[in-house]
Amino acid sequence: MSKAMSRQRDAQFIPVSFTLNGRSQEIEVEPHELLLDVVRDRLGLTGVKRSCDVEVCGACTLLVDGRPVSACTTLAFEVRGRSVLTIEGLAENGKLHPLQQAFIEHGGFQCGFCTPGMILAAKALLDEIPNPTEEQLKHFMHGNLCRCTGYKKIIESIMAAAKRMRSKA
Amino acid sequence: MQFQKEVEISAPREKVWQFIWDVDRFISCVPGCKDAKTIEEGKRYTATMVEKVGPFKVEFPTMIEVIEREELSRIKAQASGADNKIGSRMKVDLDVSLRTQDDKTILGFVAGVDILGKLAALGHGIIKRKADQVLDEFAQAVKQKLEGDS
Amino acid sequence: MLRRFRLEEPDSVTQVSELLGRFGDNAKIYAGGTELLLAMKEGLVRYERLINVKGVKGLSDVVVDNGTVRIGALCTHRQVETSSMLQQKLPALVKLEQNVANVRVRQAGTIGGNLCFAEPHADPGTLLMALGAKMVAEKSSAKREIAAEEFFVDAFETSLEADEVLTEIRIPTPGANSRSAYLKFGYLERPSVGVALALTVNAGTISDTKIAVGCAGPAPRRVAEAEALFDGKGTQEAMRNLPAAGVIAGRAAEAISDLHGSQEYKEHIVGVLLKRAFQSLVS
Repeated sequence: MSKAMSRQRDAQFIPVSFTLNGRSQEIEVEPHELLLDVVRDRLGLTGVKRSCDVEVCGACTLLVDGRPVSACTTLAFEVRGRSVLTIEGLAENGKLHPLQQAFIEHGGFQCGFCTPGMILAAKALLDEIPNPTEEQLKHFMHGNLCRCTGYKKIIESIMAAAKRMRSKA
Repeated sequence: MQFQKEVEISAPREKVWQFIWDVDRFISCVPGCKDAKTIEEGKRYTATMVEKVGPFKVEFPTMIEVIEREELSRIKAQASGADNKIGSRMKVDLDVSLRTQDDKTILGFVAGVDILGKLAALGHGIIKRKADQVLDEFAQAVKQKLEGDS
Repeated sequence: MLRRFRLEEPDSVTQVSELLGRFGDNAKIYAGGTELLLAMKEGLVRYERLINVKGVKGLSDVVVDNGTVRIGALCTHRQVETSSMLQQKLPALVKLEQNVANVRVRQAGTIGGNLCFAEPHADPGTLLMALGAKMVAEKSSAKREIAAEEFFVDAFETSLEADEVLTEIRIPTPGANSRSAYLKFGYLERPSVGVALALTVNAGTISDTKIAVGCAGPAPRRVAEAEALFDGKGTQEAMRNLPAAGVIAGRAAEAISDLHGSQEYKEHIVGVLLKRAFQSLVS
């Protein structure tokens, strides 16, 4: 939707200054705009997916201030003053994050649709609990659904990444 | 969804029958129903049904059609409406019966209610309870109006 | 896409209350939005204005004050689930909050919002009822406490007035011999049946029993009739009364047959959960 179209006589615009994948951004959004739409359509980062659209499946997971949110049900203005991390922001200078590496090595994805959300949620988990038990992992990741893998490889990938991240720390 | 109600009214059958066809008074007994209009006497009527469940509100402009009529004993009618704001449709098949018991009239309703569209997302159970409530209040209001007059 | 709305950002409860009074049905309080935005996305509700209450300070604290635990209405489920103070005082509530929805909903959703939306298939209300909680409702001119039993009127309906704001939940700190548990059952995204049990055991005798059932019916309900089967009884006698209590509690749930299960099934599960809750507290 172009600015011209949406600038009605009394449209309300909210300035949103935030950090996106480490870089400062300044945009204006209308109150009703959803974070998922702004990130995908306006900012062109399509790693985040719209899937169930009711905050259940986790395919739209983004990290805001390091914590997982459902972008499909978050109003875009809510990220003002915060830092947002998408899957595109995980690798540094072309070097994959240990989680991304582990998912590749351990077969943690098949179609890949749930994967961006899955990896971001896993990052939030490991940032909070660097050495999770399988039960803690499953509980935290409970809201990220996968229709392909049956979860076993996802758990292995996350545990392997956790191990690697701990040994590096 | 199927509903069945019976209400005992201390009033003669003729009086109850007349009351039913007094559209304004009859419609005023239906909770949430307003703006009743006669399109064709004895055959077609319109009204607006407004119902609320918590924050969810529906407004169905409703068309009521009388399909069968047996003097003093039975009416078969169909009501249908759509709320385009919410994207839902409603259809009610109504069977009204009158019979005498001692010196009272037993007014019976059998209603088949269908709710289609988004409203159904609220959950069958909640809609059923609401519809049940509406029918209950309706039956009681009819009884009170008729008995209050005598 | 959501329909366009105007965002109001008041910074006091009085302002929120005034906005609610002024705009009535055309405005709605918006906190975490985890229920509200879903209903708006579905097109089931529409509002001209959303009142963002997150700018009002002082509504997201957890405090223990003279024997009362006070939880701010704007505390997210995540805050409640990770509060070490609450883990100490109300472990059953922490366990409940750990299992609400998923981590993303818990991150954004507030306990106050959950209570006010009064979605039947929800957990917190049921346990709060069994813990003797009181909801603090404020508006421009006044403040009152509403007992949990009076708070939940019907599906999606609370006893809050149109311009009232839920600001706090107050729970009496449980005594030393007081125990509580919340068990739920469900296989869909939202819980189908929830049972909360709180009681005190002193020298083998039970007292202060509170039983609440939720999720199965339109709103959580206390079941005084079942509580009477435990109060003043020894633990063995109370255990023998479990089946009867389960049947009473099942009926009190006002279970509705829906996609979550038939009325009979839910009533049966209420009995099962009550039994398990009791066994977990009194062994």
